[in-house]
Amino acid sequence: MWLWFSKLGSPKWFYELSGKWLPWLVAAMVVFMTVGLVWGLLFLPPDYQQGFTSRILIVHVAVAGTSLAFFPLLLVSGTITLVWRMKLADMVAKNAAILGAWFSFITLATGSLWGSVMWGTWWEWTDSRLVSMLFQLFLLLGVISLRSALEDSETAAKACALLSIVGCINVVIIKYSVEWWNTLHQVSSPVSMDTQSPNGPEFWIATLVMIVAVYLFLSVSLILSTRNEILERERRSQWVQDLVSKS
Amino acid sequence: MLDAIQFSSFADFIDMGGYGFNVWSVYGLFAIFVAVNLILPLRKKQRILRQLKRRMTLDEEINSEDSQSS
Repeated sequence: MWLWFSKLGSPKWFYELSGKWLPWLVAAMVVFMTVGLVWGLLFLPPDYQQGFTSRILIVHVAVAGTSLAFFPLLLVSGTITLVWRMKLADMVAKNAAILGAWFSFITLATGSLWGSVMWGTWWEWTDSRLVSMLFQLFLLLGVISLRSALEDSETAAKACALLSIVGCINVVIIKYSVEWWNTLHQVSSPVSMDTQSPNGPEFWIATLVMIVAVYLFLSVSLILSTRNEILERERRSQWVQDLVSKS
Repeated sequence: MLDAIQFSSFADFIDMGGYGFNVWSVYGLFAIFVAVNLILPLRKKQRILRQLKRRMTLDEEINSEDSQSS
């Protein structure tokens, strides 16, 4: 177990393993994305109240749900960096913060585009779900700028890990905001097996396909940028030199 | 299966029951978001490899000049 753990932390090992996984992840991502998008745009029936704007929701829900994974991920990688001083964890954390900011932004933008027609407003400052999601975006931008502001990488890792703990509290707030407070944002739709129900299988299976697609996209994008980070930070090592001379 | 397609014409498809702008904006935004976060790291990788390669050949040249002059 410990051997496996320390091996996993080795950038070279990760680079080689992820290289083998990437084609499969990309293939799975393409399949799920295609099925999800074609289903969403062509086959998903209009909702009896929302009309075709329900098609916005399968994208919005998938991106929003996935965006909540970033702070727990940052917390885990931050802890690993602090406790075991594993270089790889910090490389993942650096890129996860950037990708997480993208996810939060797309969540807000797609939500706004839905809300503007269904709620009649693009933004509502009194809605705790909306505001806590905006706060997540700012926290992630904070993590990114904190890293670039601090020269010493060890100090940066510590500071980022600390911010990640705060961020994880915010994730809980985002998740339960719709239940704790009276919000404009609706609560999660219960999954229904009834094909006649507006949130029946047709809708939630499409959402599920999009969620899997978005998670696969997250993995592919994060692996790609982490591999770049490895090449840059390990450029003096023999294995990278060998790799470059072969390419 | 084709019966399940919700539109009878292409114009209907674009219109999305009157919500065309919002639905297509969301899907367009999503497409850009996915494409950018895949293409940028791929292009960065090529740039890194190119730079490392250039540095390597430069090093080799310097080394070979050194050995000739000595």
